[in-house]
Amino acid sequence: MVGDSRTQLVAAQLTRETLLALSKQLREPEWLQKRRLEAFDLYQQLPMPGPHLEEWRRTDLSGLALDSLTPYGQGMILEDELRRLIAFLKSLTGAPEGDRKEEWAGLLVQGSSGVLLQDQSEALKAQGVLFMDLRSAIREVPDLLQEYLMVRCIRPDEDKFRALHAAFLAGGTFLYVPRGVEIALPLISSVWIEGEGVAIFPHTLVVAESQSKVTLIEDHRSSGGEAQAFSAGAVELILGDGAHVRYISLGNWALNTWEVSTIRGILGRDATLHTLVASFGGNVVKVNVESILQGQGATSEMLGVFFGTGRQHFDFHTLQEHQSPHTTSDLLYKGALADRAYSVFAGLIRAHYGAQKTNAFQSNRNLILSDGARADSMPKLEIMANDLRCTHGASVSRIDEEYIFYLMSRGLTRIQAVHMIVDGFFSEVLDRLPLEGLREGLREEITKKMQGRGT
Amino acid sequence: MTADLIVRDLHVAVEEKVILKGVNLELKKGEIHALMGPNGSGKSTLANVLMGNPFYQVIKGEVLFKGEDLLSMSPDERARKGLFIAFQYPVSIPGVSFASFLRTAVSARRGYEKELMPISEFQKLVREKLGLLQLDPSILTRYVNDGFSGGEKKRAEILQLAMLEPEVAILDETDSGLDIDGVKVVAEGIQALYERSQGNLGILLITHYSRILKYIRPHTVHVMFDGRLVVSGGPDLAEELDARGYDWIREQYAVVTAEIQETGAVRRAGKVFWVQH
Ligand SMILES: Nc1ncnc2c1ncn2[C@@H]1O[C@H](COP(=O)(O)OP(=O)(O)O)[C@@H](O)[C@H]1O
Ligand SMILES: [Mg+2]
Repeated sequence: MVGDSRTQLVAAQLTRETLLALSKQLREPEWLQKRRLEAFDLYQQLPMPGPHLEEWRRTDLSGLALDSLTPYGQGMILEDELRRLIAFLKSLTGAPEGDRKEEWAGLLVQGSSGVLLQDQSEALKAQGVLFMDLRSAIREVPDLLQEYLMVRCIRPDEDKFRALHAAFLAGGTFLYVPRGVEIALPLISSVWIEGEGVAIFPHTLVVAESQSKVTLIEDHRSSGGEAQAFSAGAVELILGDGAHVRYISLGNWALNTWEVSTIRGILGRDATLHTLVASFGGNVVKVNVESILQGQGATSEMLGVFFGTGRQHFDFHTLQEHQSPHTTSDLLYKGALADRAYSVFAGLIRAHYGAQKTNAFQSNRNLILSDGARADSMPKLEIMANDLRCTHGASVSRIDEEYIFYLMSRGLTRIQAVHMIVDGFFSEVLDRLPLEGLREGLREEITKKMQGRGT
Repeated sequence: MTADLIVRDLHVAVEEKVILKGVNLELKKGEIHALMGPNGSGKSTLANVLMGNPFYQVIKGEVLFKGEDLLSMSPDERARKGLFIAFQYPVSIPGVSFASFLRTAVSARRGYEKELMPISEFQKLVREKLGLLQLDPSILTRYVNDGFSGGEKKRAEILQLAMLEPEVAILDETDSGLDIDGVKVVAEGIQALYERSQGNLGILLITHYSRILKYIRPHTVHVMFDGRLVVSGGPDLAEELDARGYDWIREQYAVVTAEIQETGAVRRAGKVFWVQH
């Protein structure tokens, strides 16, 4: 076994006492402890979101036994599993076996909330790039954390889950890229929930100073089991002027895992943010993905792929917020739903007064593969500018029988034809990714999801 | 030798509407039959139903392909056994790579079960066939028929014919929508494939015009009218249709129809005949 035992709080629950004990155990600075306690108070005051709120009408969390969950669990993992995980992460970069140094700029693997593995190229360190787990960051660069951590981007008082997250946040990724530093190879971070009945609160904070360039791939997975696991995550992406960030979130949770997370980017002038959220795993997964185009000329591409099977439930609430003129957002979310899976997409384009010459595009396409599957798609516009280009489209459809017939008329079996069409359906998104290994990895996930499916 | 494709008294409906009203046809490998007829007479319906398009319902009749009951086979079984159709309007399938589709199809036809045919072998094969049809290799990197021009679509259909090496190919208006040069390329491609097959390919060439028949000489010409094959003859029939149009068939057909309604027997008026089954 490899792991970190410092955060083991046996049989603890999500209480104020647990929080205090944890903060003391980690010898956290006073400001952080104070923030945690304030957030915890907020958590207790804020109402549990429910169907009375438009945002939560279609996603039911009443089955989530929050009170019986233990924060963090044990940061342990079998060495075999760790090896397999690393092989997977390596495949994302398209790296040949045994050649890892060439293929990623940094690697971070965390089990529940302890660091299992950390690797970062010396060249990056020399350039002043910081890439580490959150706890190390609190120890090593407290000033940066105090300045940014849930202050400028996502705030604890926004809702109950963000408050809960702010109280217990631990694990996750801190990435700081100094001005003008461009990192060609991706940084990879993996978060793993080990054990059942566990709640984790991974926090990702990316500060990309002006004219910097970086790609971060985050993988999320859990060991599974009978009892529930839960992740309340938050990802803050702060882009300085002209910064260029690509952020990829892979949701490979086991089926016992619930997730409520927010990914939010704030873009400075002429900054570019690409996000991709790929959801294949999990039980009930709700992710809010937001691009705040604050600076003039900022651009955001927001991509999503999801594939629900069994009784999986995915909920994506997206926001394309245009605060300044000459900003562009381009959103494309595509999902396939089989068995009794259900997906919700609610996408809001908001263009503020004065956000002229704005381009906002939004498209959500859903492919229904079984009678019991369902997808709801709700585009929404709040446009206060009067000189802009805005398009949005949503569709929920089945595979066109004409496509199937065409492919079968060339000798493909029905199953082969359906696989090929579903693959093709996702290509529109995958083909936009410049990372070949990642594309292949996603295709493999899709193939796994299609296995034995022929309708 | 019995024919490889035997169609007997085939009746077909689309959404309750009867379109084919008793089609009879026999085709042997090595033969080229042209199927002509005015728009809407049911030519594409025949092609589609032979390939197993689920949109069309067979209400009566039988079809034998190499001695087996074709109508009980799924479309992919038909294809793997050597039946092929070049569609009049091929669908485009966004996102599906033409190359990987083609490789999967050829692998299926050649009996690969679990794996696909080796990539190098595939590439060699496809390169040769692309040349034959004067297609740019970049077509392989595109999505199936997606954004293809009219001519590209037709040539891509014939490329698939060339790759799959069927025993019976139905070509549904492969010549329409092409300019004169386009017709020439496609027709010469088909003719070359036919010659190379050395008697192992039978073609049912559905066409609206006789111009393609200048490149591909049919052994037999049939005319479809109102869901039936009402005239059959040699290559000169195509020329006659070219010169005279279809009106004379329409007139003779009307005579036959009227008589049939009275007597319910075999009738013939001029060249038009109709056997009541
Ligand atoms: N998919 C279809 N839906 C409805 N009607 C159809 C369809 N296909 C063919 N038909 C009808 O069947 C008849 C024959 O059409 P078709 O077989 O396409 O003729 P051709 O190929 O000889 O022009 C026409 O009346 C046409 O309207
Ligand atoms: Mg037709």
